[in-house]
Amino acid sequence: MALAAEISKNLKSLIQEFEKALDQASSLQEAEEARVDFLGRKGRLAVIMSQLPLLSPEDKPLIGRLANEVKDSLNQILNDKIRNIQHKAQEERLAVFDPSMPGRTPDTGTVHPVTRVINDICAIFVRLGFDIVTGPEVETDFYNFEALNLPPGHPARDMQDTLYISESIVLRTHTSPLQVRTMLKRQPPVAAIAPGKVYRRDSDLTHTPMFHQIEGFLVDTQVSMADLRGTLTAFAHEIFDPGVKVRFRPSFFPFTEPSAEVDISCVMCKGGGVSSDGGPCRVCKETGWVEILGCGMIDPAVFQKVGYDPEKYTGFAFGLGVERVSMLKYGIGDLRMFFENDLRFLSQFV
Amino acid sequence: MLLSLSWLKEFTPYKGSVQELAHRLTMVGLEVEEIKRPFAHLSSIVVGHVLESKAHPDADKLSLCRVDIGSGEALPIICGAPNVAAGQKVAVAQVGTELPGGLIIKEARIRGQASQGMICSETELELGTDSSGIMVLNQDFAIGASLTQALELEEYVLDIGVTPNRPDCLSVAGLARETAALFDLPLAMPSLKLEEDQSVSCPEQVKIVIDDPAGCPLYQARLISGCKVAPSPANIRYRLMAVGIRPINNIVDITNYILMELGQPLHSFDRDLLKGSMIRVARARNGMTFKTLDDQTRNLDENDLLIWDELNPVALAGVMGGADTEIHQQSRNVLLECAVFDPLTIRKTARRLGLNSESSFRFERGVDQAGSRFALDRAAELMGSFSGGRVAAGLSLAEPRPYRTRILNFRPQKANALLALNVDEEYCRKNLTLLGCRVKKAEHGFEVEPPSYRPDLEREVDLFEEIGRIYGLDRIPEHLPRVKKALGQKPLDNRFAFTSKIKQWAAGLGLNEVINYSFVGMADLDLLEIDRENRVKVFNPLSEEQDVLRTDLLPGMLQTLRHNLGHGNTRLRVFEVANSFFSDSTSETGVKETDRLAIMLYGLRHREQWPLLDQELDFSDIKGLVENLVTIYAGNRARFKDLGKHAYLSPAVLCVYDNLNIGILGRVRPEMSRAYKARKEVWFADINLDRLETIHDSRQISFEPLPRFPVVKRDMTVTAPLNLKYDQLVDVVYESGLSILEDMTLVDVYFPQEGQEKKMTVRLTFRHPEKTLKDKEVDKVHQNLADSILKKLPVKFS
Ligand SMILES: [Zn+2]
Repeated sequence: MALAAEISKNLKSLIQEFEKALDQASSLQEAEEARVDFLGRKGRLAVIMSQLPLLSPEDKPLIGRLANEVKDSLNQILNDKIRNIQHKAQEERLAVFDPSMPGRTPDTGTVHPVTRVINDICAIFVRLGFDIVTGPEVETDFYNFEALNLPPGHPARDMQDTLYISESIVLRTHTSPLQVRTMLKRQPPVAAIAPGKVYRRDSDLTHTPMFHQIEGFLVDTQVSMADLRGTLTAFAHEIFDPGVKVRFRPSFFPFTEPSAEVDISCVMCKGGGVSSDGGPCRVCKETGWVEILGCGMIDPAVFQKVGYDPEKYTGFAFGLGVERVSMLKYGIGDLRMFFENDLRFLSQFV
Repeated sequence: MLLSLSWLKEFTPYKGSVQELAHRLTMVGLEVEEIKRPFAHLSSIVVGHVLESKAHPDADKLSLCRVDIGSGEALPIICGAPNVAAGQKVAVAQVGTELPGGLIIKEARIRGQASQGMICSETELELGTDSSGIMVLNQDFAIGASLTQALELEEYVLDIGVTPNRPDCLSVAGLARETAALFDLPLAMPSLKLEEDQSVSCPEQVKIVIDDPAGCPLYQARLISGCKVAPSPANIRYRLMAVGIRPINNIVDITNYILMELGQPLHSFDRDLLKGSMIRVARARNGMTFKTLDDQTRNLDENDLLIWDELNPVALAGVMGGADTEIHQQSRNVLLECAVFDPLTIRKTARRLGLNSESSFRFERGVDQAGSRFALDRAAELMGSFSGGRVAAGLSLAEPRPYRTRILNFRPQKANALLALNVDEEYCRKNLTLLGCRVKKAEHGFEVEPPSYRPDLEREVDLFEEIGRIYGLDRIPEHLPRVKKALGQKPLDNRFAFTSKIKQWAAGLGLNEVINYSFVGMADLDLLEIDRENRVKVFNPLSEEQDVLRTDLLPGMLQTLRHNLGHGNTRLRVFEVANSFFSDSTSETGVKETDRLAIMLYGLRHREQWPLLDQELDFSDIKGLVENLVTIYAGNRARFKDLGKHAYLSPAVLCVYDNLNIGILGRVRPEMSRAYKARKEVWFADINLDRLETIHDSRQISFEPLPRFPVVKRDMTVTAPLNLKYDQLVDVVYESGLSILEDMTLVDVYFPQEGQEKKMTVRLTFRHPEKTLKDKEVDKVHQNLADSILKKLPVKFS
């Protein structure tokens, strides 16, 4: 009896003593030392347990159960302690963690603002069902001029100062040859958009000898000026801003009849003609309007060149300068920046 | 075209604002680019009254004046002009005024006397050429009034961009016609009060012979005799100045005046310098020379049209008069030419000789043959009255090709369909009539006869345009069309989609897209020792720096590099997608265009930022990008071959896929990149996108089932001489034909003894498709592989 009572007492006191020992422990290492001391193979619990065989058969199950309960408690206490220590360590790590340190970031690549605008515009027209077509930058006089109702000697050839390769071969002055090339390949209905580089013999503050255009056209039966107006107005609203005003001014292009130039209300001064600093708006020269593209109903003479029946088919076409749209859209003041390729410029178009 | 508002009002009583007029003209296709105030710079000059003028006590040539400018106390002004006198009305620039020449008037003391302003001469105000003394004004002018108001110079001038199809609008009269039609105003042409001197007969004095009726459908002339050449009246001069024409004398000014007013170019000859009594219109002979009135000797050819007297050429038809027969200060008798020339002939000559004048500009676009007689008569009348000359009776005339009217059919319903309008026949009839057409009812609509001054109205569709223009294109309804397409329809072109993907790939890998000009200079290509064969030269380049189409994208890339280095951007990772151009006689244009991708890397591998490593670039950087590109777009790995010698790369490496050369990559030879200010290595790759696209398009992905059994990996380290290529090892390993070898990866390279040998560690991955490999089996295979490597390569295992 005395032995059972003693063992029982010793077992019970182990719990408090273990708690005390663990209180001193501040690291996993020290907790482990306490564990070895109490729960190890030769630890204090084991020493007490080694006395169990000496007990009477009646006491044995009772004390055995108690010993197991004590062992469970000790393990429980140990686990709590370990978790506690781990938690504390984590807290400490978190306290010095600095999320504002730079990441291992790959370089930020960009596409050129011209490409961005071309992509934006093409996406709009592709959604409307237009095909995207491309063509040669060196063109024959036929595709660049003659098939577009610009016979040799036509004064309208002066509207585009041309860079020649030879007498009959030019660097295309516009993307309009793609109208002809596409119509020769496909019968109506046909709707296509043609982005690309074009060239003019012109270089000053507002002209570069190479720039980008997008040509678009639609030919079908019963296409009218209303379709042209609807399409281009929707386009301007989408590419700039739904609040932008659009106006159509009659103009002249040999390959369209009637022809128009399209202006939008100035994106800088919102059409008021006064810039934010109170001075005259330079973008629209105080008119409140900026020209963005030329367009019109395709001239019957062009249809004749490609073998479409002008009594049966009508169509519209438009051509816009990509740099111009890009300048308005992003507020770029100097055209020449587009071809200097300064990284400080390029990296802004992410 | 510069349009003076006051001049316009002589033709039609427009009462609205200049802004309203500008807006309406713009909206009918006559774009007003600017509203100018040509004399605005004189707005602070005032009319003064010289109260007193006495000699300066200490300077011989100066006068001390007191000038009343209507603002209380009279101003003391010292004047150096000999003609200043008390009682005159004069033009006064007050202190603070800036004169047209840039001089700012300041308060001054000249030899002890104060001066608070300046009495101006014509020259100082840029109102004329008389600098002999001050400008003496009309006595009626009010003291203190603004000079521009007093001289009626408060003028507006509209700068109008007239499109090439509207020669009629290159004149005040034409623009007045449009204005009258737009605002429903009457139009009044100037009335003719030509009095002829019956004692002289022009046709008897001068006979016209036209040898080339196609080049000159009409030639007419009048003779004005007894003229006295002098400056034109001030109102004529000011009006010409307002529209940018320098006044010369009362003969030349009238030809310019009528040109601007009626759009008809005229030319005046000194009759007494013309030989004989005949004017002949005929082509030049090849190799002839002719001295134009700007004293330049021009080389002519048989396409140039000339005006001849009985002996010599006297004018380059429609382009410029001759130096030998021009009007001079002593000219007395004037032969005034008014002709119509073939647009194409004039255009060719003007272009070839670089002689673009107001006159050739109008002839090229077409002048109004039927209206030319009126212009001649009005010019003769004005010339006679301003120069005191008498207009001889009759006119010399030859008109081998009289103007013929055109009749166009006009179907209103067709106009409505094209313009999406719903206007009635009466609307069409009224507006076409307002525009000067004669309109007659016909079966399906109208028969329309356009006026002689509208050469652009040639077809029915041109009339539709007129209806749309007048109705207002901006008022046409809007409708969104539906594009009819069939699912089976293949896209016309895939190129755009492919290059877009490539650009997105490159941007995604941190490269910045650049766009360089398609042309470079011959010297740029030569510097890089690029092949001179098959270059495409620009026939009329803007400069030597842009005289050839690029056969290679590197020159543009290096220019980009130079620009950036010059602006402190020392790290570049850029790409460009663009064409290269080679001459190729099999192509429709004689030029073969190939889409290319160029990549250029320069500077540190990473940005200078923790935790990125501070490392210089090497070949692995550029190669890695190309490998990634080919793997993604071709589907498999490319092979890379040392190319040995190359124009501008060293090393130069060829990228090969399926025996097709896809591109080259390497380091730009430092002596070349140094010319572009590069101090570090420039790594460059040039990929043929045409070829890559072909491979891409034919590519098919086929799925392979995932392996069911585990891999065994073994590392193998070989010690090799420095010149042994990794590919040699790869080839030996793969040639061994081991079916269970799945992959081989280089995991480490190091150099235990600098400059002698290298150690390469490769990791071999083994897998059997149908069972789990045992260590023993792998050991055996590995050993065999090692043996065969030892046999074939000068390596050892360590
Ligand atoms: Zn603005």
